[in-house]
Amino acid sequence: MTGIAPSPRSASPSHWFESDPLWFKKALFYEIHLRGFYDGNADGSGDFRGLTEKLDYLQWLGVDCIWLLPMYASPLRDGGYDIADYAAIHADYGTMDDVRAFLEAAHQRGMRVIADLVMNHTSSDHLWFQESRKGGEDNPYADWYVWSDTDERYRDARIIFTDTEVSNWSWDPVRQAYYWHRFFGHQPDLNYDCAAVHEAMLDALRFWLDLGLDGFRLDAVPYLYERENTNCENLEETHEFLRKVRKTVDTEYPDRVLLAEANQWPEDVVAYFGDGDECHMAFHFPVMPRMFMGMRREDATPIYEILDRTPAIPDNCQWGLFLRNHDELTLEMVTDEERDYMYSEYANDPRMKINVGIRRRLAPLLDNGRDDIELMHAILFSLPGSPVLYYGDEIAMGDNIFLGDRDGVRTPMQWTPDRNGGFSRADFAQLYAPPLMDPVYGYQAVNVEAQLRTPTSLLRWMRRFIFLRKEHPVFGMGTYEPLRGTNHRVFAHIRRWEDDIALCVHNLARSAQAVELDLSEFEKRYPEEMFGRTRFPQIGEWPYLLTLAPRGFFWFLLKQGDEARG
Amino acid sequence: MADPGALLRAVDGDALGEWMRGRRWFGAKAADMTHFGVLDVVALREQAPELSCALVEARYNSGVHDLYQLLVGAHADGSLAYDALADTAEAAVLAQLMQTSARIDGAEGTVSFHWTGAAPALSAAPSVRSIGAEQSNSTIVIDDALALKVFRRLLPGDNPELEMLRFLSAHGFENIAALAGWYEFTGDRMEATLGVLQRFVGGARDGWELAVSEPEAFLGRAQELGEVTGRLHSVLASDATDHDFAPEEPGDEALGLLVATIDEEIERAFFELRDDQPVVAPILGRGEELRDRLSLMSHQSAGGRLIRQHGDYHLGQTLVGGEGWVILDFEGEPARTLPERRRKRSPLRDAAGMLRSFAYAASAMDLIDGREAPAGWEAEARRAFLEGYFSAVEPVLMPAGEAAIAKLLAIFELEKAVYELRYELNNRPDWAAIPVAAIVRLLDDQLS
Repeated sequence: MTGIAPSPRSASPSHWFESDPLWFKKALFYEIHLRGFYDGNADGSGDFRGLTEKLDYLQWLGVDCIWLLPMYASPLRDGGYDIADYAAIHADYGTMDDVRAFLEAAHQRGMRVIADLVMNHTSSDHLWFQESRKGGEDNPYADWYVWSDTDERYRDARIIFTDTEVSNWSWDPVRQAYYWHRFFGHQPDLNYDCAAVHEAMLDALRFWLDLGLDGFRLDAVPYLYERENTNCENLEETHEFLRKVRKTVDTEYPDRVLLAEANQWPEDVVAYFGDGDECHMAFHFPVMPRMFMGMRREDATPIYEILDRTPAIPDNCQWGLFLRNHDELTLEMVTDEERDYMYSEYANDPRMKINVGIRRRLAPLLDNGRDDIELMHAILFSLPGSPVLYYGDEIAMGDNIFLGDRDGVRTPMQWTPDRNGGFSRADFAQLYAPPLMDPVYGYQAVNVEAQLRTPTSLLRWMRRFIFLRKEHPVFGMGTYEPLRGTNHRVFAHIRRWEDDIALCVHNLARSAQAVELDLSEFEKRYPEEMFGRTRFPQIGEWPYLLTLAPRGFFWFLLKQGDEARG
Repeated sequence: MADPGALLRAVDGDALGEWMRGRRWFGAKAADMTHFGVLDVVALREQAPELSCALVEARYNSGVHDLYQLLVGAHADGSLAYDALADTAEAAVLAQLMQTSARIDGAEGTVSFHWTGAAPALSAAPSVRSIGAEQSNSTIVIDDALALKVFRRLLPGDNPELEMLRFLSAHGFENIAALAGWYEFTGDRMEATLGVLQRFVGGARDGWELAVSEPEAFLGRAQELGEVTGRLHSVLASDATDHDFAPEEPGDEALGLLVATIDEEIERAFFELRDDQPVVAPILGRGEELRDRLSLMSHQSAGGRLIRQHGDYHLGQTLVGGEGWVILDFEGEPARTLPERRRKRSPLRDAAGMLRSFAYAASAMDLIDGREAPAGWEAEARRAFLEGYFSAVEPVLMPAGEAAIAKLLAIFELEKAVYELRYELNNRPDWAAIPVAAIVRLLDDQLS
C-alpha cells in the first residue's frame, strides 16, 4: 500500500461488527506465523505491514478470524513464546502504529484478530525476572517467580520438552536458588500465588484489548499453579484464575474470545470451559491424530470413539479444531500403541519426530494426495467446532525437516513463483529461513498466484468449501449425532441447528465403498447434495444406500419435499 | 402513557413478518424466514403520537439473520403504525431532529442526528412527498429542497453513502447532491448509519431517461459525463492522508483475486442456466469457453491504483440539468456486504458499469419503446464517454498502456455482464438478452 496511513481512529471491533457473543462459534480461524507470512519492508522477515497488504487475500479466502503467533518483544529462543515485554512487539514486526493500522484494516474487512498470549511464564530476559532474581526483602518482584532452595519439590510434574530438558528446576547463580520452569530453562514460570502477578497479567490483557485485539489464544494454561503431590496440571487454582480473567474480559470488553491451549484428554479439557465462565474455546487435541489414524487404517472407528468420549460442553463454548498447526503433530493424547502406529506410518525418517510428536505439514503427511487433503478438510469442517487452518496448508505447502526444532513447518509463505517465493524482496541470505525449493513442494510448483489462476486448484476448492460452510451456521452451532452405518470405513453423522439438518458421509477407504444408513427418522425428506445442489432419491423407511468414491464424501441437507430443488 | 418499547416488544411477530414481506425493500424470500422480532427501540418522541426507531430482526431457517430499521408511529386509535414514514406529516420530523442536532438516548442505544449546514433551513411547516422505495431504502422529498434517504437493512459500520458524500464535499467535488445531514445508531448491538439528508436536485433529468427517450441529445452530453466521472475518481484518489480513501498500489495477487472471483461467478451463472430458456441459447454450453477467454485477458499485471469508487455506477444514478451532471447513490450494490462495498478497486470498474448501462439503454429503446436505437449509438456513447473520462482521470490511477487499460475494462464489463445475467434470469427474464448479447460479443471477438 502506498497510502501512508495516519494514526487510525479507534480500531475497536465494535465499530465494524454487529454484537454477537457467539461469533467465534461460526468463525473460520486462520493461524499465521507473522515472521513467515509477508515481508513488507524487505528485511527478510515478515511483519505487520506485510500482513496488512495480504488482508485482501485472507478476506477473499473467507477467513473470519486471524490467529497470530506471539509477536511480542522477545529474544526468540522459543519462537516468541518467551515474552520479554507484554506491551511491546518485536522490532522485526514493525511498530505499534503498524499494529493499530493492521487491526483497523482487518476489522474493516470483517475479520477479527486474536493473538497468542503466554501467561504461564516469561522469558528470562523479562524485566520482571531480572528484578526477581535479585531477591531481597523489599524487592516487590521477589515473589513473581517460583523460587526454591531445593530442586526436590513437585517431583510428580512431568517434563514436557523431553528432548532438551532434564528437570523442571534450574539453578540461578544470581539469586543462588532454583527456579521452576515447565518448559525451557530460559522460560521461568510466573508465580500465581503472588497477587501482583494477577494484576500484571490482567493489565497485559487490557493493553491489547484496548488496542482492538479480539481475544487471545492462551498458551499452556494448565500449568499456572504448582502444588505438592500433584502433577501440577489442571489445578483448581488455575481454573479460579481463569474465571477471574473471563470476568474481567466480559465486563470490560464484550465480544472478545479466550481460546485455551490445553493439550489434555477431552474430559480434562472441558474443565477449561467451566460452567461457561472460563475459556470460550479450547482446542480439541486428540481428535486430530485419530483422523490421521483413520485415514491410514481406512477405518472410521478411531474418530467415532474419540467423539463418543468427548463430553458435552456449555452452549456458549466451542471446540477449536485443526489438522495441523505451528507445533508438532502432538501424540501425547494417544495410547502408546497408537503412538507407535503413528510414528511408523507418518514419521519413517527419525528427523520427522520431535518431543512426543511429528513435525510435518499436512500435505507431506498425506503424501500430497489431493483427495486425501480434501477428505481431511471435509471431516474437519463437518465436526462440531470451529476449524483453524494453518497458513500455507490451503495451497498444500510442504515442510523442511532439516531445519531445527519446529522451524521446518514455519517456512515462508509461497506467494508467487518469483524470487523468494514472492515472500520478500530481501536478498536470499537475509531471509529468516529459506523458502521451500524442492521440486514437489517448492515455491515454483506450489504458490498462491498459480493456484488462483487454476480453477481446479486446492486453493480455489478450499475457498468454495469455506464459503459453503459459512452459509450454514449448522456446522458451527448444531448438534453432532453419529450415524454408524453398515460399513466401518465410512464416517457419517448428522448436524442439526434451527431448520437445517445436514448429513455428512465420508469414505476413509482408498477403494469405493457402499454404506447403508438408518435415516428412518427423516423419512420422506430428500437429501440435497450441498455443492452441486443435486437432489437424491427420497428417504424411505428402509436403510438408505449410498455409494462413495475412494476417499470421497457427500454433504447433504435433508430437505422437506417442497423445499428441495427439482 | 404507554411505553412504546414495551408496546413494540409485544408485537405479534407473524403480523409484523407478514407486513415486512410486503415491503419492496425487504429482500429475502418468504420460504427462508422463520421469525420476526423487535430487538432495540429508541423513542424519538414520547408525547402522543409516539414515534420510535426500532431495530427489527428477520431470522432465516439456516439460523442467520438480517436487521432492519423501522420507524414506528401510532395510529389515531393508539395501535402501532409499522411505518411512520408512510405518514408524510411524520417524515419531516427526522429532518427537523437533524437540524437541531438532537441526541436521543434509549435503554439500548443512542440515535444521534447531525446537520452539516450545507442546506437551507427547513420551512416551518415542511411539505413532504415520497418518491418511491428502492431495494434497500426509502426516499422522501421535503420542501422540494431536500431528499431524505432512510436505510432499511442495517449493516454495522459506516454506510458508504455517508462516507463518500462527506469526503467528496470536503474535497470540493461539486457534481453531487450536497449532504445536509444524517442520523445514526450507536448501541451495544451495533453502530450503523440510519439515513442521510441531501439537497434535492429539482428540474434535472434522470440520465437513463434522457438516454432512452432522446438518444441523440444524450450523445451530446456523454463526453461531459465521462469527464465528471474522471474527476470523481481523481478526487476520490486525492487524499493520501485519509486511511479510508488513500489510493493503494495493487498487491501481487490483486488481479489474481479479481479474476478468480469472476471465474467462480461465471461458473455459478452457467451452472444455473436451463436449456428450456430460449433467451440463453446463444451462450448455452459456452461457460468453459468464457472462462478460457477470461484467463487470456488476465495475463498481465494489475497496474494502476486501487481507490474507493461509486460501486454501483450506471445511468440511473445520474441526473443532468442546467448545472451539469449530478451523481447520486453512493451506497454501493445493496446485495453486497459492507466490507465488499468499501473495498478499494480499480476505478475502471465504475467506468465499465457505465458502459454496460449504455448497452442497456440501447436495448431498452427497443424493449420499452419498440424502436431501434440509432445506428452506432452505443459505440458512439462509449467513445464519447471514454474520451471524456480519460481526459479527466488522473493517469496514475490507470494501468500502463492502452492495451492494459482495454483488457482491464473488458474484465470488469464481463464481471458486470455475468452479474446481470443472473439478476435478469431471476427477476426480468425478458431483459436477459442484454447480458447474453454482451457475452456473445466477447466470445466472438477476435483476440487482438
